[in-house]
Amino acid sequence: MSKNERKRWLHTSPLAAIFYLGRIFETIAKNAVQTFAPLAAFLIASEGNLATRIGIGLAAFFTITIISSIVRYWFFRYRISDDAILIREGVFKKTQLDIKFDRIQAINTQQNVIYRYFDLVTVKFDTAGSSKQEGSLPAIKSEFADSLKERIRQEKPSAVNDDQEEELETNHSPILTLDTGDMVRIGLSSNRAFIFLVLLGPLAEQLESRVGETIDSAVIAAGLESGRFSLVGGVGLTLAAVVSVFLLLMIASIVGAFLRYHQFRLVTDEDVLRSTGGLLTRHEHSVNLAKIQTLEARQNMMLRFFDRYRMRVKQATSGKQGRNKQFVIPLCTPGQLPEIDREVFRDEFLDVEMRPKSDVFKPISVRYVRSRMLFAGILPTLIATGLFSAIAGPVAVLCLLWLPICALIVWTLYKKRGYFVSTEGLVLRRGFIGYRTNAFLYRKVQCINVTQTLLQERKGLATMRFYMASGTLKLPYVDYQLAKQLRDYVLYKVESSRLAWH
Amino acid sequence: MFENAEISLGDLPTVDSVEWQLMDAKFLRRKLIDSAIGFFFALVAVGVLHRILGNVSAGQDLSFGWLWMVPLLLTVPLFAWPLVSVPKKGYAIRERDIIYKSGVFWRTVTAIPFNRIQHVEKSSTPLDRRFQLASLQIFTAGGSGGDLKIHGLSAKKTEKLRFFILEKIGSSIEQE
Repeated sequence: MSKNERKRWLHTSPLAAIFYLGRIFETIAKNAVQTFAPLAAFLIASEGNLATRIGIGLAAFFTITIISSIVRYWFFRYRISDDAILIREGVFKKTQLDIKFDRIQAINTQQNVIYRYFDLVTVKFDTAGSSKQEGSLPAIKSEFADSLKERIRQEKPSAVNDDQEEELETNHSPILTLDTGDMVRIGLSSNRAFIFLVLLGPLAEQLESRVGETIDSAVIAAGLESGRFSLVGGVGLTLAAVVSVFLLLMIASIVGAFLRYHQFRLVTDEDVLRSTGGLLTRHEHSVNLAKIQTLEARQNMMLRFFDRYRMRVKQATSGKQGRNKQFVIPLCTPGQLPEIDREVFRDEFLDVEMRPKSDVFKPISVRYVRSRMLFAGILPTLIATGLFSAIAGPVAVLCLLWLPICALIVWTLYKKRGYFVSTEGLVLRRGFIGYRTNAFLYRKVQCINVTQTLLQERKGLATMRFYMASGTLKLPYVDYQLAKQLRDYVLYKVESSRLAWH
Repeated sequence: MFENAEISLGDLPTVDSVEWQLMDAKFLRRKLIDSAIGFFFALVAVGVLHRILGNVSAGQDLSFGWLWMVPLLLTVPLFAWPLVSVPKKGYAIRERDIIYKSGVFWRTVTAIPFNRIQHVEKSSTPLDRRFQLASLQIFTAGGSGGDLKIHGLSAKKTEKLRFFILEKIGSSIEQE
């Protein structure tokens, strides 16, 4: 980066207009009703035949959006100072954004097909502040983006002194790469596929009944005509339709995995964890290891079947959980999991163990089951049975069925709760159908509390909450003495640490 | 010179051994006035509801006198709660952190190290000012759950505490 570039306000490439065009379409998609209302009003109010009106409407719409994106590009200026990126943008509402290098939590780059041809990238900066404080530099030369990333990376916490810096190994060989089979696994284990199914449930039901009616009438008509009417054929067609929809969703999910994670590579470059991947648009996501708050390993039903994990590297959020601030490692094997742990925590948390089946995890108190059964099972069942018996009579006894279901749920939740206390950090395990383990360093804790209910007090138990900059983690129903010791130790670790937490 | 002295877990300062500072004496009266205001609003609400139901059911043989039982039943918890809950609150300032305890049924002890505090905020309602009381809210990067609000300190003490914490934040040197 030249001195000249640091001093003057710069324009990005004119192709940044494509980025703004995308943003405009994104906004339109979010506010479809407000956006299309004037267009609909124009179509209704104007005279002439419908095709001409639609043609004029579409032409006006595209002209306005293209002009807007060009104007937004024109009014966008940026400057790289010694310690910050300064952005000035906006046509009517002027925005000035100063992003200090040391506040940047992660740098993400995107390169779509057109940008790839011109060797351009869009760089996005995640900060610990609100989403309004996050900036993008659209369509800048990839060489310039690399030098900028290098410049920001150098703003690492000075607690790592020069001697240590020299000792840090540069590891450019990938920790993880994903192949075609992994794309299929990611697609099949994606929650989105199942969410789609749930959301499409009522719609599919309606669709199915309509299609069913049409098919039925066609089948009946054909059957009556030919004299070969078959009920089995009708049921088969409906089943085939359902299976087709399901398969289509699965294929869509796998295609999504290819689009986002094709040729996925995870590498560490000194103190930066970096992932690249994507079929059409190449995504590069990097996060400074020092800014990581918690590491999470998940295993849902499908991932358990495949014996794989999905990991999330969590950074500081501004209160609300910013999903887009999470660095996702979409798939890894049980063998790769400890390797990733070591890369993230380095020598600070050597004995970290995130595999949920590991023996290191200690169970919480079994009184967790009694408490949950009392408040989620017995009390609601008694109240519901009492109320319904007045209305429905003996049928109200059916409410008692909730008790075994609740017992099963609570017991599963209890069995999956576990914790591993180490000298530098803590690993918490929980789950219902799958598992979720979270690991963090004590020195990164922001606030800690120990709570006792009257029942817990009598039994010498307590619930601990660790407030991290990436969210809250709970350790329920542990021995009170342990909770107190752990709290004192965590406070000691936080207060004696000279390292930056972000 | 680099030192790495061994730390015994037993030698670590414990939160249990702190001397708790209780809330200002006027805070209990302030909370009782809150209860009185709540009781007054409950009476007004019941009066209005009684009137409306009376008008609606005019001509029918219905009585809504039992509605007045609601504020009566509320009296005990409303006025007894501050007497129970206020003495359970307390705070302690140590060299490197602030600790706050509260709760009757859920007893919570919260600890915030000074080197994790983002900023502090002092606030007071007109009623607080009438009793020369104030609240101190301590913000961390741990989201809303990781923040701490201490209500019921004298205005002078709140200001002193605010200054003390700000000084501590400034002096907690983190090598960033």
